[in-house]
Amino acid sequence: MILISAKSRAIMALFMVFVAGSAGVWGGETRPAGSDAEISRGFQARQAAVIAASVAAIDPTNPTKGGYYDVAACLQRGEKREAALARLAKITAPTPTDNMFWMFPMVTVMMAGEQGLDQPARDRIAELWRTYWPSRGDTENHWVLYYSSLYLAAQSRPDAGPGEWFNGRSSAENMAEARGYLEHWIDVTTSYGQGEYDSPNYIEEYAIGLSLLSGWAKDEGFRHKAHMLLDYILYDYAVETLDGYYGGAHSRVYPRQIVVPGQTPAKAMGWLFFGLGEPVLTGTVQLLALSGYTPPPILERVARDRTQPYVERELKRTRWRLRHAGPQSFVIGDRRTIPVYKYSYVDPDFILGSTQGGLLQPIQQQTWSLIWRTDLPVSRAANTFFGVQPYSSPLEGTMYFGGDWDTVTNLIARSKADYDTPDKLPSGSPFEQVCQHGSALIALYDIPAGTRFPLVTVFFSRDLAHVDEDASGWIFAQGGPAYIAYRPFAAGEWKPNDWTGLLRRGAGGFISTGFDQWGEGHRCYVSPALRNGYVVQVAPARKYASYDAFKAAVRALPLKFSTAAAPEATFTALDGHVLRARYGATPTVDGTPVDFTHWPLFESPFGHATRGSRQLEITHGPARLLLDFARNTRTESVYNVQP
Amino acid sequence: MSRRILLLLALALAGRGPAAEPVAARTLYAAVSMTKAQKNSPTPLDSGLYARGATGQWTLFGPRILGVASLAQSPADPGVLLLASADGVVRSTDRGRHWRKATGWEVGDVRALAFDRGRPARVYAATAWGPIRSTDGGATWQLAQQGLSRLYCQTLVADAAHSGRVLLGTEDGLAVSTDGAGSWRRVEFPAVTVLRLVQSAADPRLMLAGTEGRGAWLSRDAGATWSATDPACATANLYSVTLSPHDAAQLAVGGWEVGVHVSADGGRTWTDRSAGLPVPRVFVVAFDPDVRGRLWASTFEEGTFYSDDLGRTWHDGGLYGAYASDFVFLTSLR
Repeated sequence: MILISAKSRAIMALFMVFVAGSAGVWGGETRPAGSDAEISRGFQARQAAVIAASVAAIDPTNPTKGGYYDVAACLQRGEKREAALARLAKITAPTPTDNMFWMFPMVTVMMAGEQGLDQPARDRIAELWRTYWPSRGDTENHWVLYYSSLYLAAQSRPDAGPGEWFNGRSSAENMAEARGYLEHWIDVTTSYGQGEYDSPNYIEEYAIGLSLLSGWAKDEGFRHKAHMLLDYILYDYAVETLDGYYGGAHSRVYPRQIVVPGQTPAKAMGWLFFGLGEPVLTGTVQLLALSGYTPPPILERVARDRTQPYVERELKRTRWRLRHAGPQSFVIGDRRTIPVYKYSYVDPDFILGSTQGGLLQPIQQQTWSLIWRTDLPVSRAANTFFGVQPYSSPLEGTMYFGGDWDTVTNLIARSKADYDTPDKLPSGSPFEQVCQHGSALIALYDIPAGTRFPLVTVFFSRDLAHVDEDASGWIFAQGGPAYIAYRPFAAGEWKPNDWTGLLRRGAGGFISTGFDQWGEGHRCYVSPALRNGYVVQVAPARKYASYDAFKAAVRALPLKFSTAAAPEATFTALDGHVLRARYGATPTVDGTPVDFTHWPLFESPFGHATRGSRQLEITHGPARLLLDFARNTRTESVYNVQP
Repeated sequence: MSRRILLLLALALAGRGPAAEPVAARTLYAAVSMTKAQKNSPTPLDSGLYARGATGQWTLFGPRILGVASLAQSPADPGVLLLASADGVVRSTDRGRHWRKATGWEVGDVRALAFDRGRPARVYAATAWGPIRSTDGGATWQLAQQGLSRLYCQTLVADAAHSGRVLLGTEDGLAVSTDGAGSWRRVEFPAVTVLRLVQSAADPRLMLAGTEGRGAWLSRDAGATWSATDPACATANLYSVTLSPHDAAQLAVGGWEVGVHVSADGGRTWTDRSAGLPVPRVFVVAFDPDVRGRLWASTFEEGTFYSDDLGRTWHDGGLYGAYASDFVFLTSLR
């Protein structure tokens, strides 16, 4: 994560001046997208504002100010060159320590600032690539960052031999290895889904790698493919966003961002690319602006069009499983994974989305969530509602990491302090099964005795209004324009968020910074029953005459559940559909088993892709964009709108 | 890196044992990650190979790479070294002065390496994503997965007595190849993850395996049949096992919450030799080939120790704060 929250307020103020002075820069959340030309002008204005703010961050009188992207912006624009080079000399003086997280800022300077670098800077950069061995890391985003950066760094010195590289491989060899991985990753992603899917935090890492390639890869075909995949990943976000908030289920999200979703890198990208929400200046936004990547206008249309509710289904996969892959696992190449079935109900006022449950990702999984529209500032809006079975175990750790059974949990918690605590909020669980249809959801739990944290937690944000424990057993609440009904199957108790006090006391470093701002005031409904479950029904407030009318409608809904044996429930939702779920069995809707076998890679009114296709068709009104990775072509229809 | 961190690192790496030691023909290399000082970070403070000098000091050897797990030296050419790392196999042909990553993007999390003594151009490696092999001394590598239903592996032995015969510790017990890792078949062995597998230099028929949750297993017929040994560790995770190169009757195992157990009678009886270690969490045990009877043990982050009396007493061997993966004794590279 590379939010530069420590950036000085003065720079942010400057940035706001630039933004405010740029016509069309501000996003209007409810405003539909304009013409292609208007969309383009808006993006260019935001991009220019970001670059101008970056240039402003370099202070010729103070060489301690400014980062890599600020230097890159100055060199790209030909402004403050001497000061930028002086700053670059300072920040490149120490031996790097950040592995692949050092590589891409360095490469951004090398690419964006190529014309402005002087010989001492070039010499120092070459020396660092020769002497510093950046680790490739162990996650999908690490590898994309590593190889996209390595590819471009090698491209910039095509004749460099093995002795000029940290790894003893020539530029040609490094480029070939990097491209080999990236092409493989693109094939897998467009055939089986992303492994580190739909992460409000880690989407930026993919955007970074792909925007670097799309901006500066000299091989036209490769540059084109990288651009297409960034379009693809941004579509994945655009179709599940509400005002820039990333809705639905997520592979990875940090404790801060799960509570305050506006603080995600995705939200910042939503502003830059689509003008959604408030401007947020982050390092990633700077890099993306410098790269020159421009999203196709159809993506902004998809991101803004919330005129009608729709269902988005997506197929993803888990991170590669090294061990304990399980009987559901299948092999891609020589790596094991299991499918992830995503379902999101996107209403004009809220998004309720889920996956099927289970251990789909290590550490930071969010199996289901609800977000709603809010007028609160992004820095504090806690417009979310979700449930979790807090789980940690060496089984999970060794499934996804090459660590040792007895130390893996300990070492995970060195950087993800909340991982091994009972009040954690992001978590997958092997004892959780979720099914959703429309805006109703059933979650079931069958937790073996002896499980480390035998709890089921449902998060109640401080932003919820009118929380009402109804005599019927339902708990009602209102989240902005969304009415929420939650029916627990077993009793629980109310606890404050972070009830062990771990994050409140500052554990985890950046994870818990500012907890008093984002973490206070929430509470959780925590149930210790091992056989457990609940129903969630969400509805737009606009559809009811009053909150009481919604409650009455929910109370009247047929619901049967049992936790005597395997937990099960049958629920007739507000839309009349009957959901039936039994732990360990395939759920049914109106008596028909959910068809996981033919689950699409993408399917909604805005997009369609089948498993294995390596294609994505994006549509909006008369506009169509076909991304074909097998042929490396993009086909755009003629827009039927005024320029 | 701040001065304070450098100071801590220097202290951590400095051995504090007796200064006078026999002159060794070989040098001890430790593959370690310095995790003790890892706070609010997903990566250790330092990682790589450390070489132990004559006075017990430890110095970095080779590239500083995350996830360094082991080191191997070609029996045909002592200048050829192979490093097992998270980034792949890294190779030197000039005694460690220059290094080159020998594997591509497909290979990662390399945990163990073994040269085929009969045909040193053949090298085998266990990785968390499956075994690989080389037929040119580690310069290039190919996947070697045929016959395996599960690919995870982290230990292997190239049978010193039979060229081309390789035993592989997998997630699903042991597998054997008799065609230089061209194909594998399962060996009768519990279906558990094998954490460490070794062959005796004193008697190649003797092999010892440490497992995850099923303790130690001993073979007296070069891995054809196996039987459990050391009943006190029967359910332990044994991360390391070792056989004395001088005396086939001396065995040792190390593991989590069991410390070090030693046998001096070929595995018939075992004794807990954890007293004197700061914690009973041991990831490496190794008999010293140059000092008869010396046993090394490396604990989880609380230092490395050696004993010259089969574990009755322990001496500080430095590397405080380290999480070691392997100790390797190599012909001097100086």
